[in-house]
Amino acid sequence: MAFSVVLQKAFLLALLSLRAYQNEVFDEPIQLVPEVQNVSTSSKPQQVNLQWTVPNLAHHQELKMMLQIEISRIKTSNVIQVVNYTTTVKWNQVMHWNWKPDIPLECVKYFLRIRGMVDDDKFLLQSSWSNWSSWQEAHIPVSLEPNTVLVFPEDPLVEEGSNITICSVYGRNQHNVSCYLQEKPIPGEQLDSHVSIFNLNNVVFFRDTGTNFFCNSIDTKLEDGIVLFVSKVLEEPKNFSCETQDFKTLNCIWEPGVDTALAWKQQPPQNYTLFESFSGRRKLCNKSSCDWQITDDSQEIYNFTLIAKNYLRTRSVSVSFHLTHRVYLKAPHNVSLEIINTTKAHMTWKVHSRGNDYTLLCQIELLCEKEVIHEHNVSVHMSGDYLFNDLDPDTEYKASVRCADATHFWKWSNWAEKTFSTPEAAPSEALDVWRIVRSKNGSRIVTLFWKPLSKSRANGKILFYNIVAENQDKPAKSKHCSIPAPASDTQLTLDQSSYKLHITANNSVGMSPETILVLSRESGNQEVVEKRINGTKDGFLISWEPRSRDVISYIVDWCAHSQNQLCDLQWKNLGPNTTSTIISSDAFKPGVRYNFRIFEIPVQGPVYLVEKQTGYTQELAPLESPEVLTSNLTSHSFTLSWQGYASQFQAGFIQGYRVYLKSKEMHCHSGWDKVLLSDNSVCCNYDIKDPKQKIFTVENLRPESDYEFSVRSYTSVGENQNATFMMVTTPDEHSHMLLKTMLPMSLCVLLIMVVCYWKSQWVKETCYPDIPNPSKSSILSPIKYMQNPHLTIMNVKDCIPDVLEVINKAEGTKTLYTGAGKLHAENVTKLPPVPTEKDSCGPVPCIFFENFTYDQLAFDSDSHGHVPGPLKDILCQLGPLTPPKNLLNVLGNSNMKSLTGSPTEETSLIYVSQLASPTCGDKDSLTTNLPRPVHCSEYKMQMAVPPSLASPALSKNSDLSSMILLGKGEPG
Amino acid sequence: MQAQFPQKTLLSLVLSLLLLSAALAMPGCSSSYQMLLSQLQRLANDTEDPRSLAEPYMHHQSLNTTTLRKSCTEHPAAFPSEDALRALSKLDFLHTIDTMLGQVQHRVEALKQQFVRTQNFPQLENAEYKIRGIRNNVYCMSWLLRRSQKTLEPTQTSSRALLSPAPTSDTFQAKLDSCRFLWGYHSFMGSVGRVFSEWGDSLSRSRRHSPRRALHKRAHGFRHSRSSQRPMPRS
Repeated sequence: MAFSVVLQKAFLLALLSLRAYQNEVFDEPIQLVPEVQNVSTSSKPQQVNLQWTVPNLAHHQELKMMLQIEISRIKTSNVIQVVNYTTTVKWNQVMHWNWKPDIPLECVKYFLRIRGMVDDDKFLLQSSWSNWSSWQEAHIPVSLEPNTVLVFPEDPLVEEGSNITICSVYGRNQHNVSCYLQEKPIPGEQLDSHVSIFNLNNVVFFRDTGTNFFCNSIDTKLEDGIVLFVSKVLEEPKNFSCETQDFKTLNCIWEPGVDTALAWKQQPPQNYTLFESFSGRRKLCNKSSCDWQITDDSQEIYNFTLIAKNYLRTRSVSVSFHLTHRVYLKAPHNVSLEIINTTKAHMTWKVHSRGNDYTLLCQIELLCEKEVIHEHNVSVHMSGDYLFNDLDPDTEYKASVRCADATHFWKWSNWAEKTFSTPEAAPSEALDVWRIVRSKNGSRIVTLFWKPLSKSRANGKILFYNIVAENQDKPAKSKHCSIPAPASDTQLTLDQSSYKLHITANNSVGMSPETILVLSRESGNQEVVEKRINGTKDGFLISWEPRSRDVISYIVDWCAHSQNQLCDLQWKNLGPNTTSTIISSDAFKPGVRYNFRIFEIPVQGPVYLVEKQTGYTQELAPLESPEVLTSNLTSHSFTLSWQGYASQFQAGFIQGYRVYLKSKEMHCHSGWDKVLLSDNSVCCNYDIKDPKQKIFTVENLRPESDYEFSVRSYTSVGENQNATFMMVTTPDEHSHMLLKTMLPMSLCVLLIMVVCYWKSQWVKETCYPDIPNPSKSSILSPIKYMQNPHLTIMNVKDCIPDVLEVINKAEGTKTLYTGAGKLHAENVTKLPPVPTEKDSCGPVPCIFFENFTYDQLAFDSDSHGHVPGPLKDILCQLGPLTPPKNLLNVLGNSNMKSLTGSPTEETSLIYVSQLASPTCGDKDSLTTNLPRPVHCSEYKMQMAVPPSLASPALSKNSDLSSMILLGKGEPG
Repeated sequence: MQAQFPQKTLLSLVLSLLLLSAALAMPGCSSSYQMLLSQLQRLANDTEDPRSLAEPYMHHQSLNTTTLRKSCTEHPAAFPSEDALRALSKLDFLHTIDTMLGQVQHRVEALKQQFVRTQNFPQLENAEYKIRGIRNNVYCMSWLLRRSQKTLEPTQTSSRALLSPAPTSDTFQAKLDSCRFLWGYHSFMGSVGRVFSEWGDSLSRSRRHSPRRALHKRAHGFRHSRSSQRPMPRS
């Protein structure tokens, strides 16, 4: 059996060889039918692999064939694609053909068949298509449960912007299946009862972890899904270039573009491979650079291809160059600097060169304070040098050098830098000095100002300034002083001699050329009229008339005119032929007055003040308003003055003042204008056009009227807006007369009133003493009313004596002393005090003798202190007097009666006894310990006493008082 | 079965000895029961929050859609239930935590492979640190418990791999599985925290349960997650 099989094969081979030979020889058409060996499928990636052979080929025969493959879906009649391709077939070789289905193989069946046609030039006769092979099925079957939903293909990897078809397969129990791309529902297309397809076109990159596509059944809540991995499109590398620094390595760099890596290991980052076509070498590179070793020194031309690749795409970019044209030199090395002197330095350096045959171009830069101050190119081979001239002393520099291939410039190397400093030198320029000279107490105060030397002139750090004042008249009296830096002025006190001032600046190396100022005996500060000038924002144009021809130079100095005495003096030196200059300064400010002085420096003689000028760069309205004082206020006028107003320190030249006056009648007199103010109020305005006039009298006013006034200064720009109105009221027309007369009179009256008040008691007693009205006394008997209403009878028993006075009646007249005066013990018989209950002599009524003199002073006078003795003593003393019996009875009854009722209730007058309380001494005690009327009646009886008991030395007042009383008593 | 029990006991004994010896050998464990307990409670409470890991994972894997979120959170992976944990003795409880967290640690490590760069998902590393911290504290706590009990108690160990997800080539299902796992992990740590909160303030003798009963309970206490059985195509 085996033998027969072998024999059969040998026969067939021989036949094929024979047929081939015949074809070649006889050019007969032949048909070679491809025979499908195998159809395999893969799920990931979705692919169909067709393996076929051409069985009729002769031994070791190769021929070119055209193949045609027909693909049907679901059923063989549904041809969806016909693919033609050409290939060379060999004897006994299995050919492969791959095809990627559009709908996943799990969801639909595909059928393929193939046929071929010889398409080889060796065959002269035209061949024809062979017969089709038999249909081959391509499908991936899945096990599908009735309740299952499955989605295919599994984890597809596609490029952004491409299209993909996803299918879902579901069991027979699943009818309501919905599918989503992330959250977005995707409508499907029903292929058959259990298969739906979903076409996703132009897919976008969502996240490197993929985009979820899933289907779920509403019935069973089961879901299945896939992760659609969308890769970003691989970009072509940009700016690909290679260069060498040392002719040993080529450094290639490029910009890689977006990273196309995907998570879940679906796609790693794209890789980069460098391929050189001449050498055929290949190297896997980093993401953005690659080092290529130059192994063959003889190779001068390179052709590089950079290949970027990921799972989906390959990109490549090529570059071809001559090695010497891509030389990026290393930075020069061994850079050194030799300082030759204060202004020269010599720089040397070495370069990385291939030898003396190669010429390099080197660029040298010198930087000072980060600014390039010098640039130069030199050609070098292995090393270079350069001399820096004209350097500034005491300055730090940075020297830099970089090189490139001079023949084929590619790019500069990096800079090689070296920093160095030049040494100090003596200051190279004389100081610019100016002065202010003032006389004081016979001396001259010279203030010297100088401008600090610029760095380029100082040539080092200025340590001090030397000033030598050389006395021209008495050389021995020369002065020397050293001012430490950074001072810029100093003050010298010199006598009236001529001086020559030598000023120098000194650093550690030496001194500057000296500046000489000559101070002559004459001050040179002649009185000149100050001229006003108008400045602009650019400065002041100063011009002057030259005084003489022998002039060394002119100096214009200036200063801000301010109330502050400190002045930042500035000056400018000008040539001898100059008669004008523009003074500009950033320090000039609008509204500030600047004073300029032009000095002439003659060849001989003192400095001469040529002119004084003053002005503003820009005038402004006054910022300060005058402080106005009013005076001479009359009923028709008042005077305003603002003498203290500093018009020279205002923000412009004061041109005058405006007086504003407001009143109710709003009638403006002659010379006044009616104006509308900014607050829409109307007032009268008087313009004082003389800026020196600082006093003004407002006239024609009405008496007793209110006026508001304001004084405002004004410049060419406008008037001061900050002024406020002040009020003044004109007085009455006669008020001043009244004032002159009434005031002294009022004062006199007031004085009199004070005196009167002070002596009121005295006045009262003197002018209008109180006279008791007997008719109102209860002492008077009521019978008077019954008998004769005009007749008043004094009831003696009602009189209660309080003081018994013994009157010396030598002349037979009765003199009675009242309690207002003082009684002396040796002259007056002391009477007992008013008895108290305790001291009372039992039922014996108090009987007193009294006069009728009483007044309020009795309370206050010291007479109360003359307390009479005890009542019993009184009684004892009264004993020898033995009054008439009836009188005593009357007295007793009257006294008793008075105890039962208060007499004060019966009369409005208060009759005060001259007998005070035994304890009275002050008002308080008087109030609290006042003897009760039970014991003492206010009505006291006056009795006659023997003249022997009367005091011989009564005071005049007492006499007077008594006399008055007596006089009053006389009619009784 | 009779032969199995002594074998398991012996294994537990060996493991316990190993733990103990490690504890004695390694300083750094706090001897304060209170401190350890509070740390464990705090760590458990921290890790209970899904925002610490599961939520960021869902975001990164684009699972935060309504349907997929539901699918993830409603079917968390099987971890011992709270009842089962409560039924364990203290030592067994600690041992279970350690075992489970060991598996979580492996799973978290595997999750790194799902990303292009782990820098994009820093929560993974944070979770690893925390798991390590909890395991250290669990270890210290069990050392403390054992020291207080003087005698070594046999602990119940899992006789089977509790969480051994079937490896799947299906990325979609792997995403869901991982999400469910993380959700289950957070839930588990919540249970752990609550059980810890029931522990007394003092280091009392641990509860004793019948090992059989505990094991039985644990076996029944596992929540089984939804199996993502995907029919494999016949090749």
